[in-house]
This record gives sequence, C-alpha cells and structure tokens, in this order.
Amino acid sequence: MPLTDADLVARVLVDDDHHAFAELVRNHQSAIRGLLRQLTRSDLALADDLAQETFLRAYKHIRSFRGEAKFSTWLYRIAYNCFREDARKRKELVGIDETLLEAQEDPQTTDLALKHDLMHALQLLPLHERSAILLCCQNGLSHDEAARVLEIPLGTVKTNVLRGREKLKKTLAAWGAA
Amino acid sequence: MEEQFQEDWLEARLHEESPYIDDGGFTAQLVQKLPPRRAAGGSFRGAILLCVTLLACVVTYLVSGGGRFLVSAVNDLAAMPLWILYVVAIFCGVVVTAVAASVAYFQARAETLG
Repeated sequence: MPLTDADLVARVLVDDDHHAFAELVRNHQSAIRGLLRQLTRSDLALADDLAQETFLRAYKHIRSFRGEAKFSTWLYRIAYNCFREDARKRKELVGIDETLLEAQEDPQTTDLALKHDLMHALQLLPLHERSAILLCCQNGLSHDEAARVLEIPLGTVKTNVLRGREKLKKTLAAWGAA
Repeated sequence: MEEQFQEDWLEARLHEESPYIDDGGFTAQLVQKLPPRRAAGGSFRGAILLCVTLLACVVTYLVSGGGRFLVSAVNDLAAMPLWILYVVAIFCGVVVTAVAASVAYFQARAETLG
C-alpha cells in the first residue's frame, strides 16, 4: 500500500528521511510546477526555480506543518508566497495585470493564432482572479482551501472565481465569434 | 441551455488544461540541494550536554563554598535601596518581554511561510 502524505511527513520529521521527502516531491511536483507555470505566464525556467524554492522551504519549515490542512494546500501556499515575493522583487505584482489586460484586449495586438486558447485567455486575467481560478478550477481546491492559500477572505475568493469565469466566458465567446 | 453548455465546456477545458508534468529529473536535482541529514546521534549529543551542565553545576556549588554565594546575594539584595530593586525588576521585565516578542514574531513568520 502506498504511503500517505501524512506518513511521509512523519518520516521526514522523525528520521529526516530524504527518500520520504523525495517521494512527497514526486507526488506534488506536477501540480506545483503547473500552478507556477500558469502564474508566471509560462516562464518555464522561472516556474521551475520557484518550484525548487517552494520545496526547499517546505523541507526547511516542515515542522510548522500541523496537518490541519492537506499537505498539498500547504505547498500551494508556500508556492504562492514564493511567487508573490519574486513578483514583488520584479515589481510585477497585481497592477501590471490590468495594463496587460487592456493592452492585449486590443484586437490589433491579439495574436490570432491564440484566440481559442484558454490558457491565453487565463493569462489575460488579473492576478487575483487568475490565482483563484487556477486553484479552484484547475487544481481542485475548495474555496476555503484557496482562501487559506491566497490569504484572503472566503467571500473574496468566491467573487474572484465568479468574475474570472465570467471574463473567461466573455473572452472566449468573443474570440469564437471573431 | 446555451449558458449551461458554455459553463460545462469551460469547466471541462479548465480541467483539460492541467496535464501531468513529467518529473524529468526535477526531484533528483532538488534532493541534491537539501541540507545534509541530521546526525543520527542527536540524543547522544543531548546526553553529553546534560552531563556537562550537571557537572558544571556541581563544580560551581563546591567552588562557591556550598552555595553560600546565594545567601550573600540575597543579603546584598535585601540591603539595596528599594528604587534600585524596582529598576532591576523593570529591566528584567523589559528584557524578558522583548525576547518573548521576538521569538513569537519569528515563529509566526515561519508558520506563515507555509
């Protein structure tokens, strides 16, 4: 029977077992790297660097994981914090999304080949809506879990998901009609 | 009907768009960056520390003439003016509060990292 995340975390805590931690990484690397790729707008190298940083921080602070939330939720939170810190350093946080959105909504600058691409539409969303959609729709987190990851109120997450979905629908519908 | 179809389509596409990312050496690379494992003799180290501390206590007790320094320290304190005692008490309180606050801050920071 495969070991659960809780078993693996216990092994890391008790024996400082690198193999157990490697197993945890293998189990969650796809989701974490996927989320970070979306958040970084498909900058694969940056996303993987942030994913490495996420897992290293998780290892360093594993004693602070109390098991109240799922291990994956805890990892998402670290990953989001890593992304946020990096974005702050690069001064690319939140506000820039709005300008990008406006710039890319201009039909002349929109790449026709990407019109039907949902990923492209996602990348046009502001960060707070994109993060909420990615966590709740793509990664299957509940609204409550997403609220913990993003450190925002539950109601805000619900609003962001709803607004994001509406914008996605509108964007995709508009592209479909074009 | 059209609305529901659009909703279902979007939901399905959102889930479609998260394919499994192959590990491709990611885990191996990460494991190499992990700090070295803690030495197995952690409890042994603890025992050594405890023994050394006990030994130091015994030596101090013997050297100080059976703990007479405590009696003389208490006598000195009792002879001190009251205002000095107040100052010492306030200073100790401030130091303890500062240490406790900084420990709480760093602990909370470590927890919010996760």
